[in-house]
Amino acid sequence: MSNKNYAVIAENLHKSYSLQRHKTFKEFLPALFLKDKLFNRFEALKGINFELEQGKSLGLIGSNGSGKSTLLKLIAGVTKPSDGRITINGTVAPLIELGAGFHPELTGRENVYLNGSILGKRKKDMDKLFKNIVDFAGLWEFIDQPVKHYSSGMYMRLAFSVAVSETPDILLVDEILSVGDIDFQKKCLQKINEFKKSGSTLIMVSHSIEQIQNYCDVGLTLSSGNQLFFGNIDKAIEKYKQSL
Amino acid sequence: MSREKFFKLLKNLKLFWFYRELLINLAKREISARYKQSILGYAWVIINPLSQLVVLSFVFSTILKVPSLGVPYIVFLSVALLPWNLFQLSLTSSSGVLVQNSSLITKIYFPREILVYSTIIAKIIDFSFSLVILAILIAIFRVPIYWSILWVPIIFAIQIIFTLGISLFVSAFNLFYRDIQYLLTLFLLVWFYLTPIAYPIEAIPEKFQFVMSLNPMAVIINAYREVIIGGGHPNITSLLTGLIISMLIFTVSFLLFKKLERSFADYV
Repeated sequence: MSNKNYAVIAENLHKSYSLQRHKTFKEFLPALFLKDKLFNRFEALKGINFELEQGKSLGLIGSNGSGKSTLLKLIAGVTKPSDGRITINGTVAPLIELGAGFHPELTGRENVYLNGSILGKRKKDMDKLFKNIVDFAGLWEFIDQPVKHYSSGMYMRLAFSVAVSETPDILLVDEILSVGDIDFQKKCLQKINEFKKSGSTLIMVSHSIEQIQNYCDVGLTLSSGNQLFFGNIDKAIEKYKQSL
Repeated sequence: MSREKFFKLLKNLKLFWFYRELLINLAKREISARYKQSILGYAWVIINPLSQLVVLSFVFSTILKVPSLGVPYIVFLSVALLPWNLFQLSLTSSSGVLVQNSSLITKIYFPREILVYSTIIAKIIDFSFSLVILAILIAIFRVPIYWSILWVPIIFAIQIIFTLGISLFVSAFNLFYRDIQYLLTLFLLVWFYLTPIAYPIEAIPEKFQFVMSLNPMAVIINAYREVIIGGGHPNITSLLTGLIISMLIFTVSFLLFKKLERSFADYV
């Protein structure tokens, strides 16, 4: 069995955070001398195991604080696991949340290029992709306006269009497709289906069960850091409902 | 250095080169976004130091009669104050840069030092515009220019290495403890007065002179003055010491930054 057929492999993945117990200096200093415990460990993920095949789309299901976003961070490579291993095959393109890669005072055009370079794309590649990006977002009219005048839906459309302008191997979507009108959501669904056909992998987090069911074929159910289930999406949703 | 570490360093450099466009774009973002929706716009880059120069000149020259090496005090001051401003602004903006970009840090990977470098690049560009003031002052007061001015790029390079080193340190620690940015403001105020900016280094009593040689900014500022106004060589020994200290600080800070970088997303 070759690892190459898997987009993401998680082996006994653990992630814990240290929470500082003494927030102020006044509390911190005596604790330091009294050898009090300075940190509380908080386990966000406890032993996650799964193998995600390329071309599949995975939905992360769980209530608030169940570890979905932490898992997404591990996949994006912005944080390291405390224990266990995560293997990623291919390029990861996260759909950057509202406002993160965008500067409100800059125009849509300037922001597209900025966002592209955050995703590691070259200017000359962006020149070629630019037309498609704006076409897909349907924002030609407003492209030279500062994005602070955009509605949150327009914002989102532009961010999504940049992220999907080039087929990434793995696309991470965190709770944002809910923005944008029905037309745009349809376009997104279509685009994601195209991605899946071309062999890209999608990993998404959403509180909308309906959306997860629409987009995903595998599900990972989490409950306070524990893995309840990994497999068929309908079963994963069922498990989630049972756990509530 | 072990073989493994060497390859890690090479990998880091390669990754950095891959993200060079991001560095430029972030610097551009900072410059073009800053003065949008302001009437005077980029002119603030000149208005700010100019008013500072006028006020400080009035206090130190007109009231306190500080000597100024035979050139008008405002020229004497601007040779030192403009580079100092670059240093100070670089540090203050670096201290907040990681926190301000927390939404990027928790979402996507790229070498984090790019955020620090880009804000310093933006400050260097502001600085080069503010040099217009110095050029005009030199022209107005017909201050003679010497060949020794060619030393300036070398002194400037040392200043930037020193600035980068301190900035990496400050930015990383401010992410864990926000106290750093407040401490920095206080620290810079003290540092300003302990550096011969508003007064000549010769005004310091002999027994305190050694303190100045331990302060790289004093060495750098004094070197600017020697080569631009004085028309002589800078003190090579102290400049070399400054360079070595700066490179040492940069290396230590860089390694520390890269070590801490892994946990940035968990704490920011």
